[in-house]
Amino acid sequence: MSFAVGLALAVAAFVVVPFVAHLLRRSRADEREFPPAHLVPVVEPVARQRSRLEDRALFGVRAAMILALAVLGATPLVRCSRLSIARQSGGSVALAIVVDDSLSMRSQTPSGKSRFDLARGGARELLAAAREGDAVAVILAGAPARVALSATTDLGAARRVIAELEVTDRPTDLAAAVQLGRSAVKPLPHVDRKVVLLSDFAGAPVPNGEPAVWAPMAELRNAMDDCAVVSAVSHGRRVSATVACSSAQAARGRSLDLAVSTQAATAPDAGAPLAKTGEVVASAKLDPRAGEQTVSLEPSTLGAGLDAQLSGKDSIAEDDRAPVAPEAQGLGVAVISDVATSSATTGGATVVEQALEALALDVGVKPLPTLPDDAKELERFAALVLDDPGGLAPEARAALGEWLERGGVALGLLGPRAESVQLGTTLEPFVSGALSWGTTKSGGVDPKSIAWLGAPGSSLSSLAPRGRVRLESALAPGATVLARWDDGEPFMVEKRVGRGLTLTVSLPSAPDHSDLALRPGFLALLEHVIEQSERRAGPRRSVAGTPWAFPAGSRVEIDGPRGPLARETASGAETERAFVPSRVGRYRVRVEGTTEQRIVTLDSAEITTAPHEPDQHDERVVTSGVDNQVDASSEVALALLALLALELALRATRRLAPRRKRRRADRPSALAS
Amino acid sequence: MSASAPESRLTLEQTLDWGELAPLRLTARSAADGVYAGGHRSQRRGAGVEFGGHRAYVPGDDLRFIDRHALMRHGRLMVRQFETETDRALRLVVDASASMGFRSAGAPGAKLAYAAVVAAALTRIAISNGDPVALDWIGGDAREPLPALGGREAFERVVAALETVRPGGDLGLDTAAAERAFAGVARHARRGSVVVLLSDLIDLPEHTLDRFAALASLGRTLIAVRVLDPLEASFALEGPVRLYASEGSFRVETDASLVRQGYLARLAAIASEWRQRLAESGGVLIDAVTSEAPVSTVREVVLGARGGQP
Repeated sequence: MSFAVGLALAVAAFVVVPFVAHLLRRSRADEREFPPAHLVPVVEPVARQRSRLEDRALFGVRAAMILALAVLGATPLVRCSRLSIARQSGGSVALAIVVDDSLSMRSQTPSGKSRFDLARGGARELLAAAREGDAVAVILAGAPARVALSATTDLGAARRVIAELEVTDRPTDLAAAVQLGRSAVKPLPHVDRKVVLLSDFAGAPVPNGEPAVWAPMAELRNAMDDCAVVSAVSHGRRVSATVACSSAQAARGRSLDLAVSTQAATAPDAGAPLAKTGEVVASAKLDPRAGEQTVSLEPSTLGAGLDAQLSGKDSIAEDDRAPVAPEAQGLGVAVISDVATSSATTGGATVVEQALEALALDVGVKPLPTLPDDAKELERFAALVLDDPGGLAPEARAALGEWLERGGVALGLLGPRAESVQLGTTLEPFVSGALSWGTTKSGGVDPKSIAWLGAPGSSLSSLAPRGRVRLESALAPGATVLARWDDGEPFMVEKRVGRGLTLTVSLPSAPDHSDLALRPGFLALLEHVIEQSERRAGPRRSVAGTPWAFPAGSRVEIDGPRGPLARETASGAETERAFVPSRVGRYRVRVEGTTEQRIVTLDSAEITTAPHEPDQHDERVVTSGVDNQVDASSEVALALLALLALELALRATRRLAPRRKRRRADRPSALAS
Repeated sequence: MSASAPESRLTLEQTLDWGELAPLRLTARSAADGVYAGGHRSQRRGAGVEFGGHRAYVPGDDLRFIDRHALMRHGRLMVRQFETETDRALRLVVDASASMGFRSAGAPGAKLAYAAVVAAALTRIAISNGDPVALDWIGGDAREPLPALGGREAFERVVAALETVRPGGDLGLDTAAAERAFAGVARHARRGSVVVLLSDLIDLPEHTLDRFAALASLGRTLIAVRVLDPLEASFALEGPVRLYASEGSFRVETDASLVRQGYLARLAAIASEWRQRLAESGGVLIDAVTSEAPVSTVREVVLGARGGQP
């Protein structure tokens, strides 16, 4: 028995014992027979008179006073299930509320509400506890993490934003969301800054930084039993579906069915038998195990108008169905790299190819010996990596320019060859003008300038370069420096060309020239290139939350599972319009009169990554209830004073009224009546 | 067997609590023997030869005996009475309602038992004087009244009836119970009869006193014996009490210490009313408490019947 429980019992005894004594005192007298009872005058027994209103009221007031005293004394021990903002110095607080709106937050909790509903309720409670002067920012942790409300002291606006929040099918991006939250409160003048993370922690660990993240609401982190259809792709007459399950229990006894979609975009082929909407055309049992599993089905009709759906019920009903995408045309990435110089000493593919494979993205890497002279040959590629190019011929430059205009993304890793380009060749559109390769004393990239790349970007601060290309003198018009060396020289430059983009790095990938290819930042850099190309190329299949970019002047209409995709997110560039599909399903995209179908799927990690309790010893996360302490001592003290005043008033009233009553009772006439 | 169990319990509950007053025959004989019961000249006043005094006129009196001299002198209607040699029938009216079955912790017996002892003793005295005795009931277990009979057999019958009576009945509900008893008396009691009412005068219907006082016509002598339990007479209770009446569902919660005087005053007021009213009709009210010896009550009744004040 804890001290608090003992204290509570003692307080209860303080209240209950007098009450029981009071009841005993005013207990009814024994009944007895008395024939002339009607001759006996009625007089209220004294004990009963005393137990009348004034005693009862006094008893109630005094009991309430004892309770108030107990609560006042126990205030440091009181915990409240409502979330509240603990104020270190009693002053205003800068609060970043990070709400996870990813798919895993759709999971139902034992209370009948979804995790997201609970998280939103927690955010409301926090806002209810906020006072005037507190600054609140609202961050959403569904990938990509984004700011729903910049830090503001307008609590009404914060409430409106919280009320409008909706759960999505996005993956979780806790790290970026926490960093956004920290950066949102960092510039504020408040001394007391807090980042509250309302998430199930089904994602990457929380990054280091200040302030520490407060992660209340442990009920969000309960495990779930769920299976989801991650993706379904038709290959000829077969449909291959990927199903992810959080546990073996979730998969037990369930099957994957192929049913004719109600949103079928294409009619079944002439040779296949017709099927009614909703009719199951193929089915297969799931293997009862956790993790991803691929199920292959052969439906009696073509897969383009089919939906893959799971039988049975689980924690998230919304992810039990996914449209079957037409045969995947993976995102192509062309790599032009010299095997002789850009390979590891053990041989094999070039480091760029190996890095792209290591990313395990759904892209097809294609090494090319030279840059094609015809733009059509580049059409099947969404991205192009040029490693230490020695100059581009005019035909190749023209083909590259045309490809870039249509949305290609090219990465140029410039090296020693940039210094000695052949006659008639240049490195446009990456740079304009002559370049020089020379040794440098710089050790690596300035971490601050490459923070946009995320945590891996800091690894580029130590590259040990044996030389570098000086980009400063050859920057193309309109180019933007994305990262700089620690001596201020440009390390990475970006330039937009039509819908496309060029990225120029002043180091090649070859391990002989630097440690660039050995650093995690290199993978992040390539991932950035793939992401940019996905946004521009518009893959036919993408994960929820992946933006789709279109030229600013183009006319774009997108119909999704819930009607037109109304939300239009302005991307960083003024020349682009970005749409972010946040729900899984089939989308119909019309760009300048051309219609295409895109499938948005979910990230299997959302299902297979189990929620976990943050490490209790991790100082980056505070999960204990210390911070939801409620300091109600002033309110309780005021209530106690009010009760004291009421008690005095009652006693004064009692002193006057009962005397009169007793005098009246003592009179013989009162008895005779 | 099991079916008759409730009935048996009911019978036991209704059985008269005799306490120390049983057996009735011995107690009654003892009480009667304590009273001088020699042969008497008739105490009947009414039509006769020897002047026997005046009394107040009551409706029904023979107008021939109104004393006009007294009327002219005092302005009051008075009736002249004469002594005559005749038998004096004893009409006993016993209240056997539920309240008469009450016996407190310190009392020797129930009020009805006490009244039965007094009634039996009076029967013995009357029969030994050659007077017939009749018995009427108020309440009780609805047994038939006994007509006026004389001789040893009459005593046995009266005693047997008194022994077997069980208290019962709610006079608040059966408001005609007293009237039925008094109607029998009025119909059968001859001139000069002595009518003795044995009751606690509690819960009697309204106008009972009027009906009883009306029996004083035809030269009948009225004697009311109010039998009270010691607890009723003294109200020796303390502190908060919750009381319920024997008849009806009346309940009262009170503080006995505070209301004792008020209760006794009300009790005395009832006695005073009866006493005054009976005195106007030449009758008397005798207060009896069951803790007292029955012989003293019997003696007072005999004295009252002879015209002396008890």
